[in-house]
Amino acid sequence: MNATVLLEGLVRRFGKTTAVDGIDLELSHGELFGLVGPDGAGKTTTVRMLAGLIAPDGGRVRVLGEDPLTSASVRDVLGLMPQEYSLYLDLSIRENLQFFGRLYGLGRAEWARRVERLMRITRLEPFMDRRAGALSGGMYKKLALSCALLHEPKVLLLDEPTNGVDPVSRRELWDLIHEFVQGGMTVLVCTPYMDEAERCHRVGLLHRGRLIATGEPAALIRDIEHETYTVHAGAGAELFDEVFAFEDVLAASPAGSELRIVVRGGRASEVQRRLDALGGRLEACEPTFEDLFLVRIKDAEGMAA
Amino acid sequence: MKIWGRIYALAFKEVLQIRRDPRTLVLALVMPVLLLLLFGYGVSFDIDAIPMSVVDQDRTSSSRRLLRRFFASGELRPSGTLSDPDEAYARFRTGQDLGAVVIPAGFQARLRERRPAPIQILVDAADGVTAEQTLGKAESSLKAGAVVRRSRPPVEVRTYTMFNPELRSALFLVPGLAAYVVALVSVLLTALTVAREWELGSMQQLFATPIRRGEIVIGKLLPYLALGLVAVALVIGSGALFFGVPMRGAPGILMLNSFLFVLGMLGQGLLISVLTKNQMVATQAAAMTSLLPSLLLSGFMFPIENMPKILQMITVIIPARYFIDTLRAVLLRGTPASHLWGDTVALAAFALAMIVLSTARFQRRIA
Amino acid sequence: MNTVIEVRDLTRRFGDFVAVDRVSFHVEKGEIFGYLGANGAGKSTTIRMLCGLLAPTEGVAMVAGHDIRDDARKVRAAIGYMSQKFSLYLDLPVRANLEFYAGAYEIESPRKRVQEILELLDLEVHRDQITGALPGGTRQRLGLGCALLHRPEIVFLDEPTAGVDPASRRDFWRLIRSLSREGTTVFVTTHYMDEAEYCQRIGLMVDGRLAALDTPRALKRDLVPGRMFRVSNVDERASRAVLSGMSGVVDVQPFGTRLHVRVRPGGPEAPDLGKQLSQAGLSGAEIEEIEPTLEDVFLAVVDPTKGSAAA
Repeated sequence: MNATVLLEGLVRRFGKTTAVDGIDLELSHGELFGLVGPDGAGKTTTVRMLAGLIAPDGGRVRVLGEDPLTSASVRDVLGLMPQEYSLYLDLSIRENLQFFGRLYGLGRAEWARRVERLMRITRLEPFMDRRAGALSGGMYKKLALSCALLHEPKVLLLDEPTNGVDPVSRRELWDLIHEFVQGGMTVLVCTPYMDEAERCHRVGLLHRGRLIATGEPAALIRDIEHETYTVHAGAGAELFDEVFAFEDVLAASPAGSELRIVVRGGRASEVQRRLDALGGRLEACEPTFEDLFLVRIKDAEGMAA
Repeated sequence: MKIWGRIYALAFKEVLQIRRDPRTLVLALVMPVLLLLLFGYGVSFDIDAIPMSVVDQDRTSSSRRLLRRFFASGELRPSGTLSDPDEAYARFRTGQDLGAVVIPAGFQARLRERRPAPIQILVDAADGVTAEQTLGKAESSLKAGAVVRRSRPPVEVRTYTMFNPELRSALFLVPGLAAYVVALVSVLLTALTVAREWELGSMQQLFATPIRRGEIVIGKLLPYLALGLVAVALVIGSGALFFGVPMRGAPGILMLNSFLFVLGMLGQGLLISVLTKNQMVATQAAAMTSLLPSLLLSGFMFPIENMPKILQMITVIIPARYFIDTLRAVLLRGTPASHLWGDTVALAAFALAMIVLSTARFQRRIA
Repeated sequence: MNTVIEVRDLTRRFGDFVAVDRVSFHVEKGEIFGYLGANGAGKSTTIRMLCGLLAPTEGVAMVAGHDIRDDARKVRAAIGYMSQKFSLYLDLPVRANLEFYAGAYEIESPRKRVQEILELLDLEVHRDQITGALPGGTRQRLGLGCALLHRPEIVFLDEPTAGVDPASRRDFWRLIRSLSREGTTVFVTTHYMDEAEYCQRIGLMVDGRLAALDTPRALKRDLVPGRMFRVSNVDERASRAVLSGMSGVVDVQPFGTRLHVRVRPGGPEAPDLGKQLSQAGLSGAEIEEIEPTLEDVFLAVVDPTKGSAAA
């Protein structure tokens, strides 16, 4: 089967820095793929190359078999929601939707039908005549997503679509994305939210321009060779810095009043021994996607160092 | 069909944005008229009633007649009668007079003997523009009076006085101002509109849609072309209304050349914003490349024939030069259209070059 | 303890729109105070008023002992402010940005202070890098550094970690905690509910009003009554539909691939939920009772069906 999106040995440099350093990736029809990684890992650069907005220095990009850099027909079936503000802030929601509808050559009736549906799902209907610049962060993102979905693209690229969006609006945006994925759309989404990454069919972990892990979220979590624990202590918060400094503790994060840590595989007893002195107690728990992220990045940095 | 749909979408969006931001409309429509009025009234080059002292050492009927004619127009004003030219120098220094006319003794006798009868005109040349005007007016008064009446061979008279006999600078300014103002506004408007898309990030979104570069260029230019043409009409209209600038020639060629000039200026603005991608830099570049040439190198302020050879060569690529030429010809001279095709060709070439260049340099890339 | 921020009936209107509606609270010295709410609930408007950047329509606020209405200048000298769009000069190196702000604040011995900040915020290695080339997390750290240069008593952080990856967010919060330990008061907004757990007290804004104000633990206890179950290992969308309609179930929210199911006291137990799912053909669900998170609190208070999240 032909890949809907294909990246082969993709490389892009900016001056001396290599933003994308040899990415190979295939997305199939109807797949929801999450791209996660630290800031500056190359997520946005990858998305821009997929959208044909910047030229790769090496390798190949194919979207539905065509090169987005040169093929005009690809842009008819490609949707992009950039991370930054990219709509016309002095135009209203309706006018923005009208503009993009016309650019994609939608007929009046077709446009009205699609806009009606999108506005209903995003609950933006009452604000159709409000200027995009006067929308709150969450509402703006919903509009940007609506504009990217208006022409019902076959491939949708979302660069941190829920950045700065409150938890309620975030869920609404994801409901919308899921609905289109079920309709057969292929979606690549960059996100700093680990719970969002977990909802993707497959996830790629990007670090310094390279994919250091790719796979189903559950499988990736299963493959962690380290152990996760909850630290119980009288005053968990005070323990944080000390526990984090332990050599075998790869990651630590507060979970409510307790502390969640990832311990290097087989070193739990060592950590427990050191905790005894501080009055802490370890309790095994299920690893999460966030643990995976922290551990993999730490591994990658350890190797690079 | 789809192409026109996309161009329409972009042009429609631009119109919405222009309507929403009254500053654009003010810049495009109010500013040209305001500038014209400001320049037309304020920066008039006319100096009325230039004070001149009179040193009449001849004291004959001929000298008196000469003086009467000399001051007849009212543009020169006798400020006092002196007996010695040295006194005139003193009055220059204190700024009381801008000039003096000296008629030496024996003036009438020389005239009667049909010998050259020199008179002396002294001008304070510290202020060059005033000095030139004073001299010009003195000369023309003399030619119109004494000399011509004496049936001497008529002295060559400057071209501009023929069509602007009172040397009114408004008539002479309006065509130049029209070109200058339209150039400034057109270049600025387009330079800003494209640079803004880069700055606000909407260019990224635009590039991700099927719209082509040429379509972006045309869609962006159309609304501003209309705006620019309205600005030209407004400036010429207010020239007629406020300063009585006539329309002696064919309006058709004027419209055609206005269209081409505005198109060229818009193209220039487009090229600037494609190259700079930044509103600040675009503004400065637009002002530099439109304002200065159309002011200094277009024949508006300084006659091209009087420029050094090298500058004259540069003016060949300044579109304002051809537009001002058309404006003066059609408005003041009534030159037939057939004599202005040269301007048309030059303006069309410039517009074409700008649009082709900016489309070529318009990379569909964001980095 | 002494109070460093005291707000009484603070109100700000923009035309007919009431952005902040009679808000009252106080913040103690050294506290990490979280200010949460949906987009457009009035968080940033409050912060701008407290920083003396925007005059209140009504009400009183004392910040670091100064009235924000009468002594806005003194307020600004006593506080540090950092927003997501903190204006750094992107074409300058890190140190030059710090030196510029040190000059703007007229700090004594600026060189020494800039060096201190570089060390405090782990920016020493980035000292000579161009700011625009820094990754988002590091850039936010530099923004915080600029806001701390003049040793403010209080720092206001408006979504300091938006779009920052988990590892950098963790580092950022470690810094915030150490600031608080040293006596600096931190007033912070965020959309990351896991971060809100670090706050000692939390104010929750809904439509311009302060809908709740308490410690995270008390908020969970009071605002998410009933019990909370986590359902995993089944199709999230299908099971959401099944469980939403079940009697005794108050709310079902997706969390990644799992669901948080809130039930009324005396409502269904874990086995009941499992039975309901398997009757609908969704077998193998893993269900366990959990403590609610702050995200559950947020979702319970900011009810989207009332349209508050979008307004």
